[in-house]
Amino acid sequence: MTQTFYLLRNQAVPDIDRIEVYEANQGYQALRKALKEYEPKALVEMVKASGLRGRGGAGFPTGMKWSFLPDDGRPRYLVVNSDEAEPGTFKDRELIEKNPHLLIEGMIISSYATGAREAYIYCRGEFLFGSEQLKRAVAEAYQRGYLGENILDSGFSLDIKVYRGAGAYICGEESALLESLEGKRGNPRLKPPFPAVAGLYGMPTVVNNVETICNLPPLVENGPEWYRSMGTEKSPGLKIMSVSGHVNRPGNYEIPLATPLRALIEEYAGGVKGGRQVKAVIPGGSSVPVMTKDQLDTPLDYESILAAGSMLGSGGCIVIDDQTCMVAVSARLLKFYREESCGKCTPCREGTFWMTDVLERMEAGEGTPHDLDLIRDMADNIAGKCFCPLGDAALGVVVSAMKYFPDEFEAHVTEHTCPMGARLYDTVNH
Amino acid sequence: MIRLTIDDREITVPEGTMVVDAAQELGIDVPIYCYHQALGPLGACRICLVQVEKMPKLVTACTTAVQEGMVVHTRGSAVDKGRQGVLEFLLINHPLDCPVCDKGGECFLQDYTFQYGSAAGRYDEPKIHKLKDAAINEFIIIDQERCVLCQRCVRFMGEYVGEEQLLLEGRGVETVVSTVSHQPMDSQFSGNVIDLCPVGALLSIPYRYKARPWNLERAESVCPHCPVACTTSVTSREGHVIRVEGRPIPGHDWGWLCDRGRFGYDFGYVEDRLLNAWLDGEITSAAESTRTIGSWLNDTLEQHGGDSVAFLVGGQQTMEEAYQIRRFADEVVGTSKVAVSRSVKGYLPLGLNGTFEDLDRADTIVYLGQDPYDAVPVVHLKVRDRYRDNPGLKVIGIGAYDLTRSTVPGDAFVLEPGEEAAFLAYTLAKVAASNPIIARLGEELGDFSPTFKGAKSEQEVETLGRQLLESEHLVLLWDGKDPHMESVLLALRGLREDVTAVLPTFGPANWRGFERAGIAVDYDRLEAFVEEAIQGKIHLLFSIGADLLRDYPDRERAKAALAAIDRVVSVGLFFPEQRELYHAVIPGAGWSEVDGTYTNMEGRMQVAKATVQPPGQSRPVRTYLGSWAHALKKSFVLEPEWDPFDHNAGDLIAKDALPEVQSVPKPARPAMKDGALRLVGTALVMEGGMPSEILQPRIPKYPGRISLADASRLGIGEPGGELGLRGQQGMISVMVAVDERIPQGVLVLPYGVVGSPLNQLGDGAVVEAVSLEEVSLR
Ligand SMILES: Cc1cc2nc3c(=O)[nH]c(=O)nc-3n(C[C@H](O)[C@H](O)[C@H](O)COP(=O)(O)O)c2cc1C
Ligand code: SF4
Ligand code: SF4
Ligand code: SF4
Ligand code: FES
Repeated sequence: MTQTFYLLRNQAVPDIDRIEVYEANQGYQALRKALKEYEPKALVEMVKASGLRGRGGAGFPTGMKWSFLPDDGRPRYLVVNSDEAEPGTFKDRELIEKNPHLLIEGMIISSYATGAREAYIYCRGEFLFGSEQLKRAVAEAYQRGYLGENILDSGFSLDIKVYRGAGAYICGEESALLESLEGKRGNPRLKPPFPAVAGLYGMPTVVNNVETICNLPPLVENGPEWYRSMGTEKSPGLKIMSVSGHVNRPGNYEIPLATPLRALIEEYAGGVKGGRQVKAVIPGGSSVPVMTKDQLDTPLDYESILAAGSMLGSGGCIVIDDQTCMVAVSARLLKFYREESCGKCTPCREGTFWMTDVLERMEAGEGTPHDLDLIRDMADNIAGKCFCPLGDAALGVVVSAMKYFPDEFEAHVTEHTCPMGARLYDTVNH
Repeated sequence: MIRLTIDDREITVPEGTMVVDAAQELGIDVPIYCYHQALGPLGACRICLVQVEKMPKLVTACTTAVQEGMVVHTRGSAVDKGRQGVLEFLLINHPLDCPVCDKGGECFLQDYTFQYGSAAGRYDEPKIHKLKDAAINEFIIIDQERCVLCQRCVRFMGEYVGEEQLLLEGRGVETVVSTVSHQPMDSQFSGNVIDLCPVGALLSIPYRYKARPWNLERAESVCPHCPVACTTSVTSREGHVIRVEGRPIPGHDWGWLCDRGRFGYDFGYVEDRLLNAWLDGEITSAAESTRTIGSWLNDTLEQHGGDSVAFLVGGQQTMEEAYQIRRFADEVVGTSKVAVSRSVKGYLPLGLNGTFEDLDRADTIVYLGQDPYDAVPVVHLKVRDRYRDNPGLKVIGIGAYDLTRSTVPGDAFVLEPGEEAAFLAYTLAKVAASNPIIARLGEELGDFSPTFKGAKSEQEVETLGRQLLESEHLVLLWDGKDPHMESVLLALRGLREDVTAVLPTFGPANWRGFERAGIAVDYDRLEAFVEEAIQGKIHLLFSIGADLLRDYPDRERAKAALAAIDRVVSVGLFFPEQRELYHAVIPGAGWSEVDGTYTNMEGRMQVAKATVQPPGQSRPVRTYLGSWAHALKKSFVLEPEWDPFDHNAGDLIAKDALPEVQSVPKPARPAMKDGALRLVGTALVMEGGMPSEILQPRIPKYPGRISLADASRLGIGEPGGELGLRGQQGMISVMVAVDERIPQGVLVLPYGVVGSPLNQLGDGAVVEAVSLEEVSLR
């Protein structure tokens, strides 16, 4: 078990959220180095060389994203996605609450690299403390001359603004986020054009996840080879995994990519609670298909998890023990998507609503065998037909749970009760 | 150009075309809800799924741009299942109350369900309930349960019109369309959302429960309420007009209407509509009055000759009717005295007249004297449409107040009232003095120099001058008030090689059509008639669809003219103002009651079909003309009908040569006492036209507009108040409110406001505020 503290340095250094402590622990040294020793283009090349991939969910290569910005003289923006509302994911929250200067330092380096003079942090509405920490840290950074005009005499200037969302999961989707940041209703935009070409106020915009940007200071300090020394060829570097569910030590763990799932659960998170067995794992946040106990040796990197039928996603690892009803899990997670569907497109808006009702009815013992076909057919009518990925995300757990645990679903409709006696919640719509 | 294959048929379309439109060109229907060409793709409803070879998933045809070599299948089991799925989803929370829905029979949800849907529903869970039958303004109700959330209405108002009055509220399955801050929509374009809504979620209140598609008739028509003459489709049932809808003309017009045109169709049935004939203040039968008028005509001709009879034509007539009136005057009566009743003095030579296509191509649009939003609303939308396509569009307002507005931002030159023509000549003289005609105009202006309200430098005037000379496609919208503008426009045209198109925003709506029918429309004609009438040279007047007191710029003079005529006969839909000045008033038939052709401000002729019978004893003009000819024992053959269309020019009236540039005098500025106001007339579609009960709630309470400074000085607060005004010719009272676009010292008042006749004081007159008691004592 290798526990590093490049990102979650707060776990090693108390009070690192305060600028003096951050500075005393090499804070803002990477920024000095970047401004002094690198041309912006060289930084972009460095990020490309490191193989860093976006930590917001899709795993898109960050350096490549930055190089999509058109060189046409228009103002550019950096927007940091701190909306983190995916059930099971809570890494960005810890970063902004406990180690905000890392993000700010990363943002300044990223803005310098991409040519942005204005940067925004779109902070999840519920993260009140996090947004206050960020605001305070931003103010400190201004005071010390890390932000504002002519940063550290480099000639580079940057302003950072912290914006609080209003509590919608969909605003984590980058185009909905930009709409919301512009003061509009948070619905996803049609793509193309992608944000790199027409983002905030129609200007070229980089949208990156908090964790992605937090990788910049250690990357600049230690270089791309160091980064590539961890993980695999296609999935190099570090990843924070948020472990929750039936484990002894839920929490955020910074691991080298390609660490086996079993190690994460057993070594980092202290194993399954109460000596029970793993039944299923949702490895990458509530939007991805479940994995079974037979797949625990899968390395946690983008490719291996994909090959195992799921996705690394945002790294929200939900461990489900053998006493848990998968129908209840499906119903509960689907209910989240029903509540969070933005309502723009028909299949997601109506489909998640209907499917949740049916699953809740099944869980309450009022299902019929016909409901199983109905759910499969509804899933087929949603899959690949929605405007944005949320619709498909809603299906991840249900469809895979039905595939891996068909008997459990059958039993609910034949025995007209939940065989596990599970009651994760008791709000059945009648 | 891109070549692709759709359902095994090849087609070549411009790059950027969406698959749905390419399919449409082949006549292949792909179902749509949220897509609308004017609004662009949204991708929300997902009903337009199609299969594209080599793409892993179905795609939405409305958001997928064509690509070279693309192979599209618009049907097939996967596509049909996808659409069926979307429809099923749309219906789970739908109230299924089609039997009581006005949209039933013309609803896209019904149509597509019939085409792709399954016969039985599988949804057994409780439905979500939302608002039903809630009014979003005076004209429109919403049924949120029937809404498919296509956002057409929201996007039309917010993105297309630029007046954000509708929005989506709530999230997910709770999402509803609602008004901003739950306030009624008051945009004058609100009614378009009824046409845009693909389902029965936005419905017309006046049309509510009036008919079903299978027991109504629809006829192609045009709107008679302003010079735009928007294309419409008129719905009637059992002899009543019950609805007006926009009629899009593919590739040419989106079919937008303003609320004036959409809801003001009830003038045929309002209480004031003339259903009987009146002779000397008494109701008579139409037959008797026609006979009596025939004998008046006979007597007048015998005693005073043909030239003592005059005809005054107003805006309600068709071109064919105008043609018959002119022939009747010519051939039967033997008079050349046919004038058109007008409010403004300007004339626009046909050769300068532009079309709406010019607006589509314009890089510079100049408003002269009038904000098109008020006078010709749908032209404002056309300008906005152009602005959306070309955000670099230059818009310049030149008038007595700021003519621009936020929906199409522009630069405003605010002048002394009535100096637009002089200012334009002055501007051209600055940048094109080497041109002899411009040099002459400059000399004639002498020491004229404009006074700007709000800072404008000479530099900015020069920039304007250069814009006028150098713009690639220049369109000017002219209010027709100052007759000298004609010369300035001709001179400007003479300076330019690129397109210079002028669109007249002034009425009467069909004046260009009257001209085509052989009636001289110039103001001098009207002036000559008034003068001769006052001098006692006119003994019989046929006022047809006209109301001289309402229209003519000088109300006292109009009164004097009518009072001096022995017999005044009015044919119309309503009593003219001060009916005691008329000896006979007989009921005429109008729009939707007679077939005919109308020419709009482009010089475009458009046919409007009759859909209903004229009510009561009202008859078309031609019927009366025929019987008066009969009374004179003269033959007057109405058949065969005259065909106004010219085979070479198509639906546009053929252009003729341009006249010479006349002189443009230096404007005289009247002396202003302290606290005096200049009265500035404006055309407003909601005022001065045909009455409508449906529109009542939208008639502005405060039609007059003044600056904040004058309002505070005169004690006018929110939302407005009444002001007494005294001019040289009398007094009126006006309801006024503050408009920040009006400069101090100016009061803008629409023509034809009932009870506040601007022509009592005169357009441009210097007036002073007086107490209301003084006005009521007058
Ligand atoms: C429904 C939905 C929710 C999302 N939520 C988040 C989020 O909370 N945080 C985040 O960083 N990315 C989120 N994403 C991904 C973003 O759209 C985007 O890909 C990401 O911010 C890009 O940053 P990265 O390249 O650094 O990963 C979400 C995507 C979807 C479809
Ligand atoms: S899939 Fe459709 S309804 Fe769902 S969040 Fe995305 S756009 Fe909104
Ligand atoms: S009210 Fe009609 S137009 Fe508006 S979103 Fe609903 S269905 Fe579409
Ligand atoms: S713009 Fe004029 S013609 Fe068009 S609908 Fe309105 S009133 Fe009628
Ligand atoms: S019409 Fe294509 S998604 Fe609505």
